[in-house]
Amino acid sequence: MMRHSHFIRRIIATLFIVLICSAGFGIAQARSIESVSFLMAAPFADATQDLVKQFNQEHRGNISLQVVRGPLETEAMSDLAISSLLLGKAPFDGLLMDVTWLPKYAAAGWMQPLEDYFSETDIASLAIGAREGNSYDGHLYRWPMNADMGLLYYRTDLMELPPETPDQLVQVSQSLQKDKKVDWGYVWQGRQYEGLSCVYLELIDGFGGDWLKTDSNQIGLNSKPGVEAAAWLQGLIDQGVSPRAVTNYGEAEALQSFKVGDAAFMRNWPYAWAELQKSDSAVKGNVGITTMVAKPGHTTATLGSWGLTVLKGSSHVDASIEAIRFLTSETAQKQLFLKYGYSPTQQRVIDDPQLLQDKPILAEFGRALKVATPRPQTALYAQISDVLTRQLSSILTGERTPENGMNVAAANTNQILMSAGEKP
Amino acid sequence: MIIFLLLPALLLLLVVFVVPLFRYAWLSFHADSVITGLIAIPNGGANWLRLLQDLRYWQDLGQTLRFAGVSVGLELILALCIALLLDQRWRGRDVVRTLALIPWALPTTVMALGWRWIFNTPYGPIDHFTKIAGIGSLNILGDPNFAWIATVWADVWKTTPFAALILLAGLQTIPADLYEALRLEGGNALICLRRITLPLLRPYILLALLFRLAQSFGVFDLIQVLTGGGPASTTESIALYAYWNALRFLDFGYSSTIIMASFVLISLICVIAWIGLQVLIPTHPKSRGVIEL
Repeated sequence: MMRHSHFIRRIIATLFIVLICSAGFGIAQARSIESVSFLMAAPFADATQDLVKQFNQEHRGNISLQVVRGPLETEAMSDLAISSLLLGKAPFDGLLMDVTWLPKYAAAGWMQPLEDYFSETDIASLAIGAREGNSYDGHLYRWPMNADMGLLYYRTDLMELPPETPDQLVQVSQSLQKDKKVDWGYVWQGRQYEGLSCVYLELIDGFGGDWLKTDSNQIGLNSKPGVEAAAWLQGLIDQGVSPRAVTNYGEAEALQSFKVGDAAFMRNWPYAWAELQKSDSAVKGNVGITTMVAKPGHTTATLGSWGLTVLKGSSHVDASIEAIRFLTSETAQKQLFLKYGYSPTQQRVIDDPQLLQDKPILAEFGRALKVATPRPQTALYAQISDVLTRQLSSILTGERTPENGMNVAAANTNQILMSAGEKP
Repeated sequence: MIIFLLLPALLLLLVVFVVPLFRYAWLSFHADSVITGLIAIPNGGANWLRLLQDLRYWQDLGQTLRFAGVSVGLELILALCIALLLDQRWRGRDVVRTLALIPWALPTTVMALGWRWIFNTPYGPIDHFTKIAGIGSLNILGDPNFAWIATVWADVWKTTPFAALILLAGLQTIPADLYEALRLEGGNALICLRRITLPLLRPYILLALLFRLAQSFGVFDLIQVLTGGGPASTTESIALYAYWNALRFLDFGYSSTIIMASFVLISLICVIAWIGLQVLIPTHPKSRGVIEL
């Protein structure tokens, strides 16, 4: 009995010593290791898993990077980020953010300016389109990780060359539909949501107009090209080139229709390319990519890129920058492109001969990125996009005429800018 | 003494209900948006003036009332039928009782995503059936005249079991001897329903009504996922508009005004609905002492 309790006491004492030692060791380690955490939407968090592991191995003992896996959808991500930022001190050091959030977040004072950390040479290494949408009010706030731009997908088995102008697209569609080659000519995003603004931006620019010039606050929605663009979209539905149901299509619905071979054209982002190469795709091997149709000389693509930011109040700015540089490096971008189809932002990656040979589609991504345009860069973007999609949806469903709808959209936009004091 | 026992519950209510409400009321008299750098600056009644002139708010209010009225009305009628059925004795009743709860147990977002694909044109089953039936493609979610009906449909499908559960609980409190007595006096099933079931069920109907009204006025996730407020904003609800103002536009002053105004209006409507039902359903027959045929 005596021996027994003695034995237990010894075990407890040993455990106690081990515990103290390891705790002390842990504290010593914690002091020297900077832990950095980034919030990313779920697909990005999953895609960067290997890179994060690599980074942590290379920086063992110095920096420990942790990626918090956010929700799947862009808007849900924004809600989560904003909710945590509103609390004052965000539980993250950095955020992977969409191009349209930047002015709003910057105006709210949530972000750390980064111009002291990235030089002119760094910026010059980015593709031209990828240099857009990272700054606001003269400060650099974001470093692009992957580029996203609106693309026109077409069926190579149905045509030799893709159409270049809006009229050509309608003509090709109608003749293919007449020959019963496809049910629909063109599928796109007509649901009342942000995707519709992206579709429209490509067209208003393509018809030679401007949605909003942020330097002069000049609104072009009810100008001739603005109305023409809206009328063209509405005409697609009226002429039967696009299905009536396109008024509730998001990216997923458009992809579904194109993937089963029901449509000759589709507007979508680069991610769709990888989806169309899967074995369940009826059009695998018969898909080409080009830029959105436009009047000659006005070709454009809506820019929708994701980039990393550092939040104000982070006590690990230098370590965060280190992590950002790693995650956006050439090697990282090559890896993300090859494995997940994420379009790179560094010009040298886009021009990489080996990569171009393995994946010729990269050339098309690069071409579209060259002409990519961001949506109006104002802190009021969410409001003006909301009034635009509202009116566009009314036009597409026949509730309003294109002239009437675009006049209302322009008036609403004007009111938003005026009440914010951005316009006299 | 009793106040001490109630204290924890009262404190909880204070923290989760009263404090936010006062905060909203206070914010509704301030400009607090991305333009002011998220600092609250008093602006008198400017937000309220804007609300009065904001046609979009009144349109959304109308749409929310339409949604709530139609879906809660349908739900209560259906729930009563289901509850009466599930209250009878028949083989397999227990299994059905459990199964009937499944729609309610599903997360709204999941269920709304499901309906979005079911209503999908042209790949959803509904489109398939209407084509076979010769009606042609209906484009339910893409048509301003139909989309709101789809939101009502999905809501009724999901929340009827909840109302049925409350009513079923009520039915089980009604003593069987009341029915026996009435039957002895020659009352048929319809008279039983009118004279016994409905009056005794009244508190439960009111409970289900209030729960469901409050919930459906605040409808958000279902619409956000199913239609996103479109097409042409015909399905946008007040909650969706308030959410857009707060989390997308970062305009907390105006969002609070929307919430406060809706809170007052909806409280009023709930009181009216409550009184209305009191009048509509005859009072407790026991309190009159006799059951008149």
